[in-house]
Amino acid sequence: MAVSVVAAPPGAAHPRRDRGRGIWPLLAAPGIAWLALFFIFPTYVVLCIVFGQVDPLFRTPVPVWNPLEWDPTQFSYVLTHIVGPDGVFGPALLRTAVYVFIASCLCLLIAFPVSFYVARLSGRRKGLLLALLIAPFWISYMMRMFAWVNLLQDDGLFNKLLSLGGLFTIDVNWLVGQPMVVILGLVYGYVPYMILPLYAGLDRLPQPVLEASRDLGADRLSSFWRVTLPLCRPTIVAAVLLTCLPMLGDYFTSDMLSASPKTAMVGNLINDGVQSPGLTGQAGAFVMIVFLVALLPMLYYIRVTARGSEVSS
Amino acid sequence: MPTPPSRRQFLTRAALLAATAPSLGAFLAACSKSGPPSGGPSLTLAAPDKPVKWDIADDNKPIADRLAPEKNATLQLYTYADYISPDAVKSFSDKYGAQVEISTFNDTDEAITKIRGGNVDYDIFYPSYDQLSRLVSGGLLRPLNHSYIPNIKNVWPTFTNPWYDQEWRYTVPYTIYTTGIGWRSDLVPSDIPAMPNPYDVLWDPVYKGKTAVIDDWHTAMAMVLLRAGITDVNTSSEADLKLVGEQLKAMVEATSPKVTITMYNDLPAGQLGVCQMWSGDIINAQSYLPEGTSPDILQYWFPPDGKGLVDNDLMVLLRGGKNPVLAHLFLNHLLDPEVAMQNFTAIGYQPPQNSITADSLVAEEFIPENLRTAIVKPEYFESGYRLLELDATNDAAWHNVWQAFNAGGS
Repeated sequence: MAVSVVAAPPGAAHPRRDRGRGIWPLLAAPGIAWLALFFIFPTYVVLCIVFGQVDPLFRTPVPVWNPLEWDPTQFSYVLTHIVGPDGVFGPALLRTAVYVFIASCLCLLIAFPVSFYVARLSGRRKGLLLALLIAPFWISYMMRMFAWVNLLQDDGLFNKLLSLGGLFTIDVNWLVGQPMVVILGLVYGYVPYMILPLYAGLDRLPQPVLEASRDLGADRLSSFWRVTLPLCRPTIVAAVLLTCLPMLGDYFTSDMLSASPKTAMVGNLINDGVQSPGLTGQAGAFVMIVFLVALLPMLYYIRVTARGSEVSS
Repeated sequence: MPTPPSRRQFLTRAALLAATAPSLGAFLAACSKSGPPSGGPSLTLAAPDKPVKWDIADDNKPIADRLAPEKNATLQLYTYADYISPDAVKSFSDKYGAQVEISTFNDTDEAITKIRGGNVDYDIFYPSYDQLSRLVSGGLLRPLNHSYIPNIKNVWPTFTNPWYDQEWRYTVPYTIYTTGIGWRSDLVPSDIPAMPNPYDVLWDPVYKGKTAVIDDWHTAMAMVLLRAGITDVNTSSEADLKLVGEQLKAMVEATSPKVTITMYNDLPAGQLGVCQMWSGDIINAQSYLPEGTSPDILQYWFPPDGKGLVDNDLMVLLRGGKNPVLAHLFLNHLLDPEVAMQNFTAIGYQPPQNSITADSLVAEEFIPENLRTAIVKPEYFESGYRLLELDATNDAAWHNVWQAFNAGGS
């Protein structure tokens, strides 16, 4: 979703809006059809399952298509079990937020200098560096996680390295219930997704503005702080969103690198719910919760970019 | 001419609409009369003391006697990964000139959902008996014609008229297994069988990060009940389930266990030191040991008096299968003593064959002395506890406890 908003050219609605009135809706039609088919309709189906019934025999979900007949039992079960004495889901939701927050910060910490360097300072080697940045995409996420499983297992390379070839006895079980391992797994998995949009944004910074700031007497640091960074804000928000949103639904990293309930994230709850008979509605309820939570930063992003386009127009 | 909304207005409105849509549903639901789920067909639940003889519907009769096997056919099996010997499959295709295709599932819940969805033409499926009622009531199974399966004489007599399917109208037995505790004696110094309550080892913080429980709600939660001395492993008591929830939480705090079904690999590899385990998996684990490691370090505990979890898996024919004759012949093939033994060698799960006994397995050095405890004996089926199919309400209650455990506490 963020991408389509980014792609909207600033000031497109500005001059000569009367010409070609019919053509723009026509051109937008495929995108709108796509959204309707693959976003709005699926969301409606999820709602119909969350507020639907369960097959009494097979305990499979029975979607109820008519909103007037929706039954909120499953949704309210989840809501009432987040906080309070029955708050079994609260810790997992909180944990997800904390993990995603820390992982996003770390991602940004790594991704910003890297993309800044590639976009603005690398000179002739830009092409090569860009190719290297894209390289991680050639290997599937699953394979990269499997590689870490191998490295981190008890007799794996990482522990051997730590023990300096057997000098010390290292007895850390990295792969069972270590929050740090899961967070670093998320960082490792998603950092390429942050570098690329950041690079794209930084690469397009208007050079004259930056030069003007230096001409007007700003030193490197304050030019960066007062010009580059504010100009990058929409890019940073977009990049953080692009990585945050998939992280919020991630279950795979925790499953592969921990598989302990201690590091369960909301994605794991959704995954477990979908696979258990009778719990699909609960899984859908978690999906809706994640959706609503993800909507807030999205609205902020829209505000940021809208203000940006107002300024520019 | 009215001015069209600006982009910003449009986005704000769209966002507002998106934000209110879900609450709209809740609002509408609050207005509607929330009727209870309409009462559908209820489940007949079988138990050892409540044997069930399933009906054979008029529109779903067994196939006729003495039919020729289908020509140029592809027999479709639907089973767990690594749960059938490729050699046993091959000897069947050589004998009958049929292709055999194997599709796999992760757990039987997932499998049933898929079968029920239609559009699949699997001939043979490998459920446990705790799904039988749903499968039969849902009309998904094909009744057996016994004349194609003379090899039933080779299996333990209890399985020729089992409580879950009297007169074996729909099922033949496939494997038998117990659920106990497996460990590597080099990583776990405790003498687990000598402990007053061996299940306690999974709550022992000494082994934090080195333990695991089976990723199956019923199997794992039943173990917690047995540890607490509650032998009704299908309990519908709220207090019992509450206790299970608390004990699971305590376990997460004490040992932070992995929840998985890959013990047969993780334990021999040394990733795990001690875990809840199926007997078939500890036998299978021998072939996953790192090179140069002696199988002597693998240990398995199951209550010596047989008062533990004992179960068996089944082979059934699916009604949607295209090759009913070949499917009958395949069942018969797998009940042949030699094929059954071949299959046992490959998958580690014991078939209930009369010719296979604990002494014969150890004498033939198929199973080392230290894993003698993993051999399933016929008397276990008298003394052990079974994981039965639960009614819908109870099933939901169990699943909620399990889901809370999966959420991991604070």
